[in-house]
Amino acid sequence: MRPAWIVPLAFLMSTQALAADWKLDPAPSRLEFVATFEKNAAPGVFKEFDTRLARFEPDKPEAAKLDVTVKITSADMKSGDVNRAIRGPEWFDFARFPQAEFHAEDIRRVAAGRYLARGVLSLKGVKKELEVPFTWQESGNAATMEGELNVERLQFGIGTGEWANGSTIGLGVRVKFNVRLRKEG
Amino acid sequence: MLANTADGWGAPAKFFHWTVALLILVQIGLGFTAALWRLSPLKLELFVWHKSTGMLILVLMLARLAWRLANRSPALPPQTPDWERYAAHASHVLLYVLAVALPLSGWVINSAAGVPFSIFWLVPLPAIVAPDERLEELAKLVHFSLLVALCLVLAVHIAAALRHHFVKRNAILIRMLPGRARHA
Repeated sequence: MRPAWIVPLAFLMSTQALAADWKLDPAPSRLEFVATFEKNAAPGVFKEFDTRLARFEPDKPEAAKLDVTVKITSADMKSGDVNRAIRGPEWFDFARFPQAEFHAEDIRRVAAGRYLARGVLSLKGVKKELEVPFTWQESGNAATMEGELNVERLQFGIGTGEWANGSTIGLGVRVKFNVRLRKEG
Repeated sequence: MLANTADGWGAPAKFFHWTVALLILVQIGLGFTAALWRLSPLKLELFVWHKSTGMLILVLMLARLAWRLANRSPALPPQTPDWERYAAHASHVLLYVLAVALPLSGWVINSAAGVPFSIFWLVPLPAIVAPDERLEELAKLVHFSLLVALCLVLAVHIAAALRHHFVKRNAILIRMLPGRARHA
């Protein structure tokens, strides 16, 4: 007869086999944003960011935790003039708010391979609840998380004063991410 | 009659001349105002007007060149000395070259600066060079130098027109004025 402890141990091992901790593979990962400038798309990218997804089980993601940190000072909008402008206090205010964070502990599966992470985004000193939809594709020890969402820049005090009128620089910003993760351990 | 004749400009030639003349004056004002304005939404709007006007001038100049080449030009008065003929021809060629080169160099600045731009907020203008700050600075220098050259040649052009009218008392200036019947 099997010892009594073998059942919980087997259960524990089976869950551990399904739920995994994931960390960022920075080279192929992209975090982009698309602002609008005089009614033109003005794309930019955050070159440095980190993503960790802990205890993620694709079929039962409720226990998972998503943590994203974005080095705001790594923003690049492909234009020297624009890059200089966005450093200032009216825009990202690099000096005071060099980093943004998103933490979600409420992750739900909405369809096969499609998830919704509800959490809090801290950006330029403002904390706001945010829903981040993403798709998940996993093969072996690598996975891809992809999604996009809208962020209203004024909710975070980005583009203040005379820039708060959205006629020259639009108010909505599309954020897109394509993140490659590697299984930890 | 639309076409130019031996002693007069047709309506299209006059339209091109005065429309481009007016746009160039507006354009110089817009350019300086936009460049010197502090960074603000208004500065960006002024630049959209400046760039849009530049593209309008470029299109008009290309049409104007085609019209000029497809048409004869009125003759200079027979007593015009040779040096004046050469000077007139050279200054006209320079004006055409500068009026095309200025918008083109502006297009290079905008492209090298990596700034997205739609003409009059409507027609997206593709970049002609990749974003490059050093090229942007160089193109700005070229743009400004071309502007200085344009102002110098324009001064000569206007002075020559006034000289023809007030000193030499010929019809050179009169025949470019709109709404006047050409001399028979």
